[in-house]
Amino acid sequence: MSRQLLLLSSILFIFSFPCFATIDVYEFETPELEERFKLLTHELRCPKCQNQNLAGSNSTLSLDLKMIVYEKIIAGETDQQILDFMKKRYGEFILFKPEMSQNNVFLWVAPFIFVLVFLVFFLRWYMTHREVDND
Amino acid sequence: MSENSSKTIIVRTFVLSTFVLAFIWFYWLIGQDKTELPSELIDSPAPKFEVADLLIDGVTHTQEEFKGKITLVNIWASWCPSCYVEHPFWKEYSKNDDIVLVGLNYRDEKSKALKFIREQGNYYDWTLFDQNGRLGIEFGVYGAPETFLIDPKGMIRYRHVGVVDHKVYQEIFLPLIEKIKRGL
Repeated sequence: MSRQLLLLSSILFIFSFPCFATIDVYEFETPELEERFKLLTHELRCPKCQNQNLAGSNSTLSLDLKMIVYEKIIAGETDQQILDFMKKRYGEFILFKPEMSQNNVFLWVAPFIFVLVFLVFFLRWYMTHREVDND
Repeated sequence: MSENSSKTIIVRTFVLSTFVLAFIWFYWLIGQDKTELPSELIDSPAPKFEVADLLIDGVTHTQEEFKGKITLVNIWASWCPSCYVEHPFWKEYSKNDDIVLVGLNYRDEKSKALKFIREQGNYYDWTLFDQNGRLGIEFGVYGAPETFLIDPKGMIRYRHVGVVDHKVYQEIFLPLIEKIKRGL
């Protein structure tokens, strides 16, 4: 039994491969700066792997963009300046929460229009049926 | 036919046509390639830079060199499989004298980039060496290959994501180049 166990352990040892986990280390002077970095990298989308944010993506482009966010925070730039930098190069697409603009204004107001249309139809239907019931 | 039944027919037709239109719109939407991003830099000046030449030590280039000529900037890298597919096309293209072809070697190791040029051929008028990818980010690049068309005023007129081949060049680039030549 112990021989078999030894053999099995040896086989497992021979066929095991080294595994390294890497983590990004960004050093900040204050926890507030670190918090801003976390928020920004969560709000910015990775242009390469488009369903992930910068924080969750390990693509080379994401790593580069994260480093730019880090450098800009350290350099004292505001969140808006950093978002503007990204938008200027990758467009509105890079923001997970798009801002209202001429191109997407319909998406912002459409739900209100639909509710309004529904209310108008409902009220007309309600008034008609009330009149019929009263008759 | 009573007024009520004709009203019902109108409402039913309206609801049905709304559903049909929504279905067609949805079908059209899923057929779109939403992974391709439009460039934010179209009709904007090319980004400012001062970057080293890949092949000639001590030489640097700036965006000022784009002025006065029609330029194509081709983003490539030795780690990019599609670039090996695309590269032979530039051999055919390099016979074209009235347009400058600039290579932008994106996020590469110099030795590997030089090996690529040695083995695949150098068809570029000059090549920028963007080792850390920062110039690529200035151009809004999100992969390789990508190709930018820049007019003689130094304005970016078009960005193509993916391989440029004879068909893409004839159908997309050539009409735009003709338009630029006509001063439009």
